[in-house]
Amino acid sequence: MKDLCPNHGWTLLWITCLTCLGALPFLANDYLVGVGLTLLMWLALTQSWCVLSKMAGYVSLGHVVFFGLGAYLVVVTWQQIPLVLAVLGAGVLSALVAALVGLPVLRVRGPYFVILTFGLAELVKYTLTWIESASGMASRILFGAPDLRVIYFSMFALALAAVALLTWVGNSRFGHGLRSLRENEEAAETLGVPVVRYKLMAFVLGAAIPGMVGAIMALRSTYFVVGQVFDPMISVTVIAMAILGGGDNARGPLLGVIFLTLLSELLWANAPLLYMVILGAILIVFVLLVPNGLIGLLEGRRAAASASAGKPP
Amino acid sequence: MTVLETLLSGQLLFAALVTGSLYALIALGLNLVYGTMRMLNVAHGDLVMLGAYGAFAAFTLLGISPLLAAPAIAAVGGLLGYGLYRGIFRKILAGGSSTTAVRLESNSLLLFFGLSIILQNATALAFTPNNRAYNYLDTVYRVGDVAMTGNRLATLLIAGTLCIGMALFLARSVLGLAMRAVIERREAAHIVGVNVDRVQWLSFVLGFGSAALAGVLVSMLGQFSPFSGFPFTIAGFIVIILGGLGNVMAGLLAAVLLGLIETYGVALTSANMRSVLLYGAFVAALLLFPNGLFARRAAAR
Repeated sequence: MKDLCPNHGWTLLWITCLTCLGALPFLANDYLVGVGLTLLMWLALTQSWCVLSKMAGYVSLGHVVFFGLGAYLVVVTWQQIPLVLAVLGAGVLSALVAALVGLPVLRVRGPYFVILTFGLAELVKYTLTWIESASGMASRILFGAPDLRVIYFSMFALALAAVALLTWVGNSRFGHGLRSLRENEEAAETLGVPVVRYKLMAFVLGAAIPGMVGAIMALRSTYFVVGQVFDPMISVTVIAMAILGGGDNARGPLLGVIFLTLLSELLWANAPLLYMVILGAILIVFVLLVPNGLIGLLEGRRAAASASAGKPP
Repeated sequence: MTVLETLLSGQLLFAALVTGSLYALIALGLNLVYGTMRMLNVAHGDLVMLGAYGAFAAFTLLGISPLLAAPAIAAVGGLLGYGLYRGIFRKILAGGSSTTAVRLESNSLLLFFGLSIILQNATALAFTPNNRAYNYLDTVYRVGDVAMTGNRLATLLIAGTLCIGMALFLARSVLGLAMRAVIERREAAHIVGVNVDRVQWLSFVLGFGSAALAGVLVSMLGQFSPFSGFPFTIAGFIVIILGGLGNVMAGLLAAVLLGLIETYGVALTSANMRSVLLYGAFVAALLLFPNGLFARRAAAR
């Protein structure tokens, strides 16, 4: 396998994953389809998070806000507008919110950006909780949600779109601009990279998909409480998956998503607290000891192997 | 009593002062760790929560009064800070060059975030995720028309004394001067012979210890759960952003201001608004005064 060109190995992995996930609803029972759906959800969320946070290095702890807004839009417009419209509207709403708050928020850098995005997401959560309780809506139940398989394939499409988006951004001029401002924002600006516009574009592009993902997941759970769809642990899980995977392309997050989804399936039902402890430990270990993630480990080994074989990597 | 009477009575002012003094104490520890090492300790509030559980366990299991247990709990918190500094953070600080400083800051934040998740959920495993509370020093004292419970008075006194003591320590003692030197210009402090490593571990010890002690005070005042630490972290951040780095007296004022905003805001609206107000103040502080901190940070490099 060592002779296999690294990209072929990855293509093989992607094709295997996509075939398995695409065939799943026709072969498996509802439980497994549910697991597949969860995996696709995390894949879409993590890949879209990477557009700003991995490419440009603006680590956002508020990704859940788009997810929650999307879910909220579907719930509020439930049975008043066609579902397709509501889901698409969720994407538009999220992108709009990102465009509106983007300029002031993206001026803040480094750890302040991280903590500010967290604070913003919590602010939206508590404001909506307050509005809901003031209007006498402690929770809502959605009747007549579409079939699980319809939900599954919509999510499949979103996950594909997120992977395609990140791959496109990663190979584009735009993506190189984002990388350059991640390394040194002042230098990038001096060299003519339109840093403000690029950051805002990345933020808006990365916001539409989680909005739609949230909208679709609201149909899946059919039971809605604000605290649940704006749970900050969704953002934390996304970060953990991206960091665990490593790299700034679509491959790393794939590994992180698969690993953590399976781990949470094993532990979540019986030991949710233990799962969270493990999640925290993974965050610490990877940031500290494996800063390039699983993909760094894999490709580092491959680079070492090809270097020892006398080939340039 | 009408709304206006409530607002004008001393009762709310007293409540705001108690909250403010608590926030000042919490922000002080956060400020030391941030100031000397430029690391945002998002687990700070969870240490407050741990301190609360420590006092709870000492009181309900061993029957020890929280105020007597407080020094021991603070010492354990300080020890935890020392261990973490030696085990993890000294290594990162040594490895970071100035070009990767920004990434180091984001990374250290993720480390603290991981620590925060572990502390919250490990506490929930040990004590169950339910709310806890106990009654202690709840005799009511009246001064004029203001009713004060003993535990609130004690909180105000202890937190206030500690903050002022800390301000004096930073202003007058040699070690305090060294600490301020590192906060303002780390490299320069190192060159003129300040033992930066010692200042850093001391900041961790004082920061973590004061957080645990603040937790003891928090536990006397009302309910707490394994997940109630984070709002304290946020409150601490607001105070630091408004008050400025290493500036203890300005931080004290900012903390009282935040206490006033929160107390009067809740009195005017409803208890559900507390989190909205807190996070609203936080976002506003960061967006409106981002340069307050950044200007200082740029100067420090």
